[in-house]
Amino acid sequence: MHEASLVRTLLDKVATLLKEHQGEAVEEVCIELGPLSGVEPLLVQSAFEMLAPQYSLSDAKLIIHEIPLEAKCRDCGALFEIKNFRFRCELCESSAVQVVRGDEFRLLNITIRQAVDNEASA
Amino acid sequence: MNTKTIPVGQDILSPAKQAAADLRADFTRRGIFIVNIVSSPGAGKTSLLEATARHWGGQHKMSVLVGDLATDRDAQRLSPLAPTVQLTTGGACHLEMPLIKKGLEQLGPIETEFLFIENIGNLVCPASHDLGEHLRVVVLSTTEGDDKPGKYPKMFRTSQVLVITKTDLLPYVPFSVDSAVADAQLIQPDIQSIAVCARSGEGIAEWCEMLEAARDRMVASRDDHAAVH
Repeated sequence: MHEASLVRTLLDKVATLLKEHQGEAVEEVCIELGPLSGVEPLLVQSAFEMLAPQYSLSDAKLIIHEIPLEAKCRDCGALFEIKNFRFRCELCESSAVQVVRGDEFRLLNITIRQAVDNEASA
Repeated sequence: MNTKTIPVGQDILSPAKQAAADLRADFTRRGIFIVNIVSSPGAGKTSLLEATARHWGGQHKMSVLVGDLATDRDAQRLSPLAPTVQLTTGGACHLEMPLIKKGLEQLGPIETEFLFIENIGNLVCPASHDLGEHLRVVVLSTTEGDDKPGKYPKMFRTSQVLVITKTDLLPYVPFSVDSAVADAQLIQPDIQSIAVCARSGEGIAEWCEMLEAARDRMVASRDDHAAVH
């Protein structure tokens, strides 16, 4: 179970971004998880809820986008979805396939609350 | 108050992956080949390393970082054969870069050709963590069943070598080496496979030759690269 350690890394990053952008609080954290990300979305969600208060991010809501595992064939160039972890090109049956999406735990974006800035109040 | 969405688009492990890539580059320069050995508990990682050290004798220098949740039992087994540091994680189910760096400090200045990292016995979490290795070796023992590669796809997808251990038990267990290799190849078509028995020494010479050839390729590619620049 390494979801907790990865969620800590995520929360560290989110807290740093909030500080960099001088926000007051984080409303939403959007992440992308694929079948080869090595984590289970339900466990990520519960780890997030459990750990967020430690980073003063209790208001943040985690939005998980579950994406398919996608690959590109090095022989024929086809882009296709890998189903059931069968790493073969669906067009030419080549085994020279490169995963292009779905093998990472990606932070897509965060939505923060900011005090009304000078431009807006001017 | 207003809200603002900040685009990030970053793999959260990217700083750890960068640290691993830096370590790999540094060890490539020094001619040290790093092998990350992963498996379920009890598959025979330590026995494989003991057999490797015995086979090489003084011919090739090796050092070991060995990870467990508790005890220094593995280090006690390996220390008489090679410089070894035991990493204990308390409860953590996998090794990460900070632990590797700490282990390397404890190991001190080493003159070695091979650095083996024996990971925590676990076919799940270690798959997500690059430790700066040049080669990831997944060990599968005949008592675990030949259906395991398909059940743990990330581990087999991210490994370059599959070592099947405990071949002396093949007459007693329903395990087909061919089926296990075929299952692993569905996930990682390029995976290289070797069947060994650490107790009898079967396959150990072939395993050691594979490691020597892989290190030679690393050194040659480093020198080619250096010649170009």
